[in-house]
Amino acid sequence: MNTEQRFAQPICQALDQGTCALDASITERLRAARERALARQYVLATETQIVGAGGTALLHGHEDERHPVRMLFAILALLLGFSLAYYWNGFSQADENEAIDSALLADDLPPKAYLDPGFQVWISHYAQASGR
Amino acid sequence: MASRSELADFLANAERRAFKQAMFAVRNEDAALDIVQDSMMRLAEKYGDRPPAELPLLFQRILQNAIRDHYRRMRTRAGQVISLSSLEYEEDGADDPLETLPIDEDLQPFATPHAALLQTETLTLIEDALQNLAPRQREAFLLRYWEGLDIAETASVMGCSEGSVKTHCSRACQSLAVSLAAKGLRPKDSRHEH
Repeated sequence: MNTEQRFAQPICQALDQGTCALDASITERLRAARERALARQYVLATETQIVGAGGTALLHGHEDERHPVRMLFAILALLLGFSLAYYWNGFSQADENEAIDSALLADDLPPKAYLDPGFQVWISHYAQASGR
Repeated sequence: MASRSELADFLANAERRAFKQAMFAVRNEDAALDIVQDSMMRLAEKYGDRPPAELPLLFQRILQNAIRDHYRRMRTRAGQVISLSSLEYEEDGADDPLETLPIDEDLQPFATPHAALLQTETLTLIEDALQNLAPRQREAFLLRYWEGLDIAETASVMGCSEGSVKTHCSRACQSLAVSLAAKGLRPKDSRHEH
């Protein structure tokens, strides 16, 4: 212990004693302030838990961020969701193609006509003429 | 992450010293209580998820910033053009009155520490002497010796170099010794007791 520390020690002991002799009104206000601060921490902790339970824990929940099993489940769920969406989209596309094929086959105009360049030219002229 | 009970224990342990620190700095009970309350709220809100071991340093940093913010507000309210540096200690200032005070290298604790320090009158003298210190000296002294921070931690809280902390502490001790001696509390060389 150096000279300054030896000098400061009794002063700090006296200051410690002084903190025990604070007025009751002050200690009560300090206690109330502490309770308010702790309530604030409690609210924040609860909010974090609610966010985590809502499924966005990967982004906001500090606890969940560090939990490898939960992370793994979340990633698997995300991959499964993507797969289902892709699969479902494939069905919709097939339905749409089927409807177009049916319409082409059922039409009076043969499908070969759509491959004829002259027919394409006639359609564009016809479209321009009807636009006027 | 600090649990609620860990944070509660820390605050219960620190709040009175924090209040006294704020009182020394602002000399107003309501303002000091506001500063401590704001500091506790800020600690709980922003750093409530930190490990308990980090809380003391964080709390001191918040508290000292709150005290400095109070100084700034007071300065603005008063409408005076007072440079913040005038509230701080000029490290190389030649006009520092403490500069001329002799340093007693054999400075020792008070002759009868327990008897003397238990008295309220003595405590009042000590608190008055502390209150009259330059703000930066008082801040360094309280952080280093009362809060028990090491030099690096004190420098981090005060936002200055470690060398400045040593200077502030040294001059604070020097000034306190002179001030207390003037009031009859003379440090005594313990070599004479043996």
